Amino acid sequence: MSMSFDLGEGSVRVEFDEGLYPRDAIYGAAYVFIDRCYVHLDRVADKRIQVSLKAKKPGVDSQALAGEFQNELLGQAWRQKIVEDNRQFVETITARALGGAAGPPGLDELLSMDIGEETAFDDPLGIAMSWEEKYKKKGKTSDAKSEGEAAANTETSGGEAS
Amino acid sequence: MTQLFTEVGQAAKAPSGLVPFRFREVGGDYLLSNFLGDWVFVTKDEMRSLARGELQTGTPLHDKLASKNFLRDSIDAAKAAERIAHKKRFLNYGPNLHIAVVTLRCNETCVYCHASRANMDAVHTDMTPEIGEKVVDLMLQSTSPAVTLEFQGGEPLVNFPVMKHMIEYALARNRAYGKELEFTMVSNLAMMDEEKLAYLIDRKVQICTSIDGPEHIHTKQRKLVGGNSHREAVKWIERINKAYIDIGLDPTLYHVEALLTTTREALKLPREIVDTYVSLGCRAIFLRPVDPFGFAGRTAQIVEYDRSAYNEFYRTAVEHILDLNRKGEQVLERYASIFLTKILGDEEPNFLDIRSPSGSGIGALAYNYDGKIFTSDEGRMMYETGDPAFQIGDVFSSNYRALMKHETIRALVMASIRDTQPDCVNCAYAPYCGVQPEHSYRTQGTIFGRMRESTTCAVHKGIQDFLFGKLRENDPKTTEILRRWTTVRARTHFIQASSAS
Ligand code: SF4
Repeated sequence: MSMSFDLGEGSVRVEFDEGLYPRDAIYGAAYVFIDRCYVHLDRVADKRIQVSLKAKKPGVDSQALAGEFQNELLGQAWRQKIVEDNRQFVETITARALGGAAGPPGLDELLSMDIGEETAFDDPLGIAMSWEEKYKKKGKTSDAKSEGEAAANTETSGGEAS
Repeated sequence: MTQLFTEVGQAAKAPSGLVPFRFREVGGDYLLSNFLGDWVFVTKDEMRSLARGELQTGTPLHDKLASKNFLRDSIDAAKAAERIAHKKRFLNYGPNLHIAVVTLRCNETCVYCHASRANMDAVHTDMTPEIGEKVVDLMLQSTSPAVTLEFQGGEPLVNFPVMKHMIEYALARNRAYGKELEFTMVSNLAMMDEEKLAYLIDRKVQICTSIDGPEHIHTKQRKLVGGNSHREAVKWIERINKAYIDIGLDPTLYHVEALLTTTREALKLPREIVDTYVSLGCRAIFLRPVDPFGFAGRTAQIVEYDRSAYNEFYRTAVEHILDLNRKGEQVLERYASIFLTKILGDEEPNFLDIRSPSGSGIGALAYNYDGKIFTSDEGRMMYETGDPAFQIGDVFSSNYRALMKHETIRALVMASIRDTQPDCVNCAYAPYCGVQPEHSYRTQGTIFGRMRESTTCAVHKGIQDFLFGKLRENDPKTTEILRRWTTVRARTHFIQASSAS
């Protein structure tokens, strides 16, 4: 049985095969209900996922709730598939939209950067490091991780500079 | 549609050489559209033969498809790329519309109020001059070469001194930036006086108001304590239009713009509403359905209705507008003009809610009286009714680039690309369409939306069905009128002289 329902008073438990829907689609579908329902996700058996929706207000038709969830799940799964198939297209449009809107860093932004005694000599990109210093440890897991973190921090602090 | 494919059954196969296309049955024929936004009508028989994989060179169907870029071999790739870049050029720039809510106070009470108004004594909801300056500073940092500062409320005339201060400050600051700067004010006009008007005319502030239709419906829906909201609005529309004539402006181009909010009451009066607008000298009528934001969400039972009823209203009203055009009256419907501009040419009118991706954040920003910044005015209204999902910063601590790179904006961009949405991905109208993700979130709890159940989609489909139905009929007079509605006449008077060095 791929999908089963347990209807209660203003509540529904939907159980289905984990392999049937991508996990993000399940989260996405469940999320849509959080303003109206208390939502709980659980793995009830091997490869079986259970989603419980309990209406916050009385008088909700549980049958309709179950149907709505099913449709939402299908919609989310399909949307993901479409986005996957068009990933490059979406990324190009998004990058162009955000890049065009943000523009290059301007004088105002450079001036507003936090360059004080302590931060003036921070070098998150490793520009001031020698080639050897920067790359000699590459390949070791711990250092690869710290490089990744440095890159992520640069992005974040760039975004937060104000 | 499914009928046709059931008939063709197992014999179905795509003819070689066709580019991917979407289709929709309109008026007994099939409308085909492609990724370039080109479209063509084919008959049912022609569609049947396409579904069987039959497409002979030299046939009228082959020629028709070739002339509209439906055949791979006949497409000029360089030209196609150029066309797409031209249509999406709005992506090169950031927000051009900056909505400043200078107060929440309002002297009128409306049944559908979108703005989450405050009473006249709620002076703490007035924007301060300092916040106003910060709004202007952020606006001028936009990468858009043209920016519009739109004053809204509440009723912006309630906080006129701060509005004036922002205008003066923006004019002074823009000397360094040299942007094409415009000012707009959305007002119910009831607090207008000659002194304020003289200032607004002198500073070239465009004025936009609301008219709900004939007097009896307007006054019923918009209550003005101790006065008649309709009479005040009409009196000032006439006065302002006269002021434009007095300074030598062409009244067909320069006049007060008025907006309609179509309520359940209004649905009964399509022709009367159009006539009211025409009698006020309006050349454009925007038949907007009621919004679910702000207080309208709470008063939905009074003002809401089924979208099929709206579509019926829209058709009757626009048929009436077309009739008036045939008799020589120059008046258009705004939705029609937005869609037709994209359908009949490669121009993008840049109407922020009907483009893909939408203008949320990357096309517009809304600044609340307290300095909080939102991806749109609708996002701001949602904050006022308790949901801060669309707040991306505030004027005190946010910088421009950080705002534009905010994760909420990124999500809204991705959610509003039509080509990656279920339903839209198969919809023949996707090349011309757009949906505001805040609307989907408000009505369906998800920024991605479920178009099948979306009231916006129902309206957009209804309008495009109507327009394509008209284009299919191919009546030369009607087509010429529809084409004329896509002509843009720039209102250059309202652009502030720039003196950047
Ligand atoms: S919103 Fe509706 S009308 Fe517009 S493209 Fe999507 S499905 Fe089509």
